[in-house]
Amino acid sequence: MLKKRLIGVVTVRQGWAVQSFGYRRYLPLGKPEVVVENLDRWGADEILISCIDRSETGQGPDFKLLERIAALGLSTPVIYAGGVRNGADAVQAVNLGADRIQVDAMLWDLPAELELLSRELGNQALIAHLPVSIRDGALYWRNYRNGEECLLDHAALSRMYLEWVSEVMLTDWVHEGTPGAFDEAIPKLFPLEEKPLLLFGGLSASAQLQRVLSLNNVVAAGVGNFLHYKEHAIQQIKRNLVGVPMRAAHYASEER
Amino acid sequence: MTRRTIGIVDYGVGNHASVLRAFQSLGYRCRVSRDPSVLAECDVLVLPGVGAYPTAMSALTACELVGFLQERARGGQPIIGLCLGMQLLADVSHEHGVTAGLGLIPGEVVPLTTVPWHIGWNTIEVVNGDDLLAPSDQQSVYFNHSYVFRAPEEYQVCVSRLDRSFTVGVRRGKVVGLQFHPEKSQSVGRVMLRNLVEGLTRA
Repeated sequence: MLKKRLIGVVTVRQGWAVQSFGYRRYLPLGKPEVVVENLDRWGADEILISCIDRSETGQGPDFKLLERIAALGLSTPVIYAGGVRNGADAVQAVNLGADRIQVDAMLWDLPAELELLSRELGNQALIAHLPVSIRDGALYWRNYRNGEECLLDHAALSRMYLEWVSEVMLTDWVHEGTPGAFDEAIPKLFPLEEKPLLLFGGLSASAQLQRVLSLNNVVAAGVGNFLHYKEHAIQQIKRNLVGVPMRAAHYASEER
Repeated sequence: MTRRTIGIVDYGVGNHASVLRAFQSLGYRCRVSRDPSVLAECDVLVLPGVGAYPTAMSALTACELVGFLQERARGGQPIIGLCLGMQLLADVSHEHGVTAGLGLIPGEVVPLTTVPWHIGWNTIEVVNGDDLLAPSDQQSVYFNHSYVFRAPEEYQVCVSRLDRSFTVGVRRGKVVGLQFHPEKSQSVGRVMLRNLVEGLTRA
């Protein structure tokens, strides 16, 4: 049976792993590769490396970071996000060790490029990232580079070429970094019911993770800051997700 | 124990780094190469691959590796195909048109029928009593694909299920194909790779 996934999210800004609070305030955690290595050892189902300033500054993907991470020899699937401008960027990121690519700015700037990415890598390797918030009972999509927001309705979604991606990550950017604050109405308001969703932003408590992961169209949840507050957080969360089809908690001591 | 050498076929498609590190972590000597003389000296060949089938077959052809791999398989050199590398072992693929494959294991590559793709951790069931994969029966491994290898039953060695079962492992003698990513399946995947290498190279 296909399992639901717990994704360890590593937010990278100016080359450093950071704890983010609503993408407004940041606290440094250290070298991204150290944080990523921990998540690998702790048995995350996937690791998302999200370089949040690469598109904003026009730097393109952080290939040097991917090279350093590849050298770690991770045994956990990696999703890379940040600065991907075209198919060549995406292919290079995969060749450097990313298993999947997440795009955000491209959905605003050049969504038709997604078809080219799909022809290179396949839809299964592509994830669309939508930072969203709820206002007056409606879902709004945010361009994180300039703060512009637009109503996330079928018309907006039709301009994104989402038929070329396999999954959509919805990030509650307002509550990101605030424990247990994820707005659970977000997945229910998303108009494309058939699209598998990944959720992120303010998800920390097992009870809340259990509720959102129980939704049919939610296939994974991302947890960021909260994994760094205590050891074995991934294992503890997994143990508490009763009734959710998850891979069992992994312990390094069990390795044969 | 003899230290085995793994030849990772470098044809410019996909992520060799993860595969290389996985085998190195198991203590194997590794060669990443497209040079037939280097690859022929290895104990096991590993054919990785990510992306689209036609692109991958074009790359293998451009590297003049198609005939080499067919000849090595006929000669009994163990070959392990991973993900797209597994699909390349088939006779033909229907991804983006019809493309001839390596033809090392009978079958064709077709789209998943009831879902558009298969992403994440899923359980495998070892079938036909395959001795090398038997220790991995009922383990969860990482998948990321939208096409599957439809092989005759006699070549199937493991299946997985969504709403119906489909082939995720094939074997013909010393040629093995795995649809999933053992190199990204944590300790479960590493145990499986070690069992395959040791089993396929056993005299």
